[in-house]
Amino acid sequence: MKRLTLSAAVASALLISAVPTALAQEDSELDIGRFAIAGYGDVSYIDQDGMNNNVESRFVPIFLFQLSEKIHIESELEFSIDENGETEVEMEYADLHYFLNDNTTITAGKFLLPFGQFGPNLHPSWINKLPSGPGLYGHGGNGSLVPLVPVMSDTGVNLRNSFKLGAGKLFTDFYVVSGPREEEEEEIGIDDPEEGGHGSIPEVGFEAGKGDNNSDKAFGGRVAYAFLPSIEIGYSFYNGAYSDDATLDYKATALDFNWIGTFASIRGEIIDTSTDFLDEDDGEIDVFDRSGWYIQGSWQMRQLDKDILNPFELVLRYSEINDALEGERWTVGVNYWLESSAVLKLAYEDTELEDGDTDNRLFIQLAFGF
Amino acid sequence: MKLTKLSILTIIMTIGSFSAIGQHASDPTLIAKGARLYSENCGRCHNPRPASDYSKKEWSVVMPHMREKAHMTGQESLAVEAFLASTLTADVRNDMKSGSSGAEQRSGKTLITQFGCQGCHQINGEGGNLGPTLDGVVENKGREFILKKLKDPKFNNTASAMPQFPMSEADMEMLINYMSKN
Repeated sequence: MKRLTLSAAVASALLISAVPTALAQEDSELDIGRFAIAGYGDVSYIDQDGMNNNVESRFVPIFLFQLSEKIHIESELEFSIDENGETEVEMEYADLHYFLNDNTTITAGKFLLPFGQFGPNLHPSWINKLPSGPGLYGHGGNGSLVPLVPVMSDTGVNLRNSFKLGAGKLFTDFYVVSGPREEEEEEIGIDDPEEGGHGSIPEVGFEAGKGDNNSDKAFGGRVAYAFLPSIEIGYSFYNGAYSDDATLDYKATALDFNWIGTFASIRGEIIDTSTDFLDEDDGEIDVFDRSGWYIQGSWQMRQLDKDILNPFELVLRYSEINDALEGERWTVGVNYWLESSAVLKLAYEDTELEDGDTDNRLFIQLAFGF
Repeated sequence: MKLTKLSILTIIMTIGSFSAIGQHASDPTLIAKGARLYSENCGRCHNPRPASDYSKKEWSVVMPHMREKAHMTGQESLAVEAFLASTLTADVRNDMKSGSSGAEQRSGKTLITQFGCQGCHQINGEGGNLGPTLDGVVENKGREFILKKLKDPKFNNTASAMPQFPMSEADMEMLINYMSKN
């Protein structure tokens, strides 16, 4: 019996070695490549009070390698010009996908965290229908709003699955990553200590070049259900220690939704965060909560069936951050699509902060995907 | 012993999960499925990219990247790749001879199935909603418009994701005749 089992195992192992042959689409008409470059870029003019350098430019290539049909490698670099005119280079992600089976993928390396929708999928400028961010994520473009979620990508491992479930599809991601860290020099002041309870909160950030600052790993995930092509609803969570001694945690949850129609779309996210901090008075650990949400609608004017209006799209977004460092933002934009992946955007943004300050910006942006 | 059984089970499950991928890429049902998946998934985040943006070889490298972004399975990703490969990708878009030149005349219904039109458009109330319905489209827009759209999908909308298909003008006329009856 033992020998039979062993034989079966060996036979199965031999069979599995034949799997790559079947995967290679032998006798199919598909050409198999090894390398491709995709990516995006943009040039933006921003009219804002007190802003001297009002032209920004980015080039963000994505390098894709197909090592085999089970292993895929991707890396995105962002080249941009800083306020002094110097070239900045940042690695957004560099990871390896291992396709374990038809439904499951293991990703290892530095990857975009599957938290909400904007961070992992919508932030590239040719995909983001407005030239600025909603203000909730820390990836630039937020103006005077202090983002809720500082981490966009991190190093670690992610397990991704996709299943049919009932009439829709279930998507799951679970990951373990290095986690956030405190940006020591950049505590954020609160104008009203009575309301916030204390004079300042730490800014939690992530700098890939610095590595992890404690032995604790952060973990998180996203579970989503989709009735494709129209509706997707997702729930995300993230939990990680950010202080050097791993006693202070940063936690975040998000609820995201998408509705996609033939001519229109509505999408939004609701995010709650809690950040531990050490009370300067009694030495106890307290929790500092912040929350926010945004909703964005877009409408393609091709619905009017007038050739001259076909490339135009109207976009409206409202963002709000509550509980501390509050602010709200209206953004309205008109897009002219030069190609399906090249767009000229004109947008106006009105941001009001809790202290009464306003931050109004006018954008003209040319964004392209390639 | 338990470990051996578990290993065998894992191996069988792994093989099982790949076994359906051997479907021939030119299978019309796979292409139709790919067209539907292209319509359902690509527009979730961005304007769907026309097939002509990349070559077939580039699509084969881009699709695993998008498989992850869109949470597609391997089979679904392959179906989308097969659909894209059935249209005029960047490497063949200027070569209309790669269409049906010399091939036997295909019926309108065959062409609809072969090129997965219902992946993005509704016909007789069935199909995707990425593009407008094709029911009554010939009557509403006219034959000349449809012919022009099939030859150059971007002529009236620069952002159109509709691909150019490898079909002759005779094929296009046949397709229009079929659509005019719906």
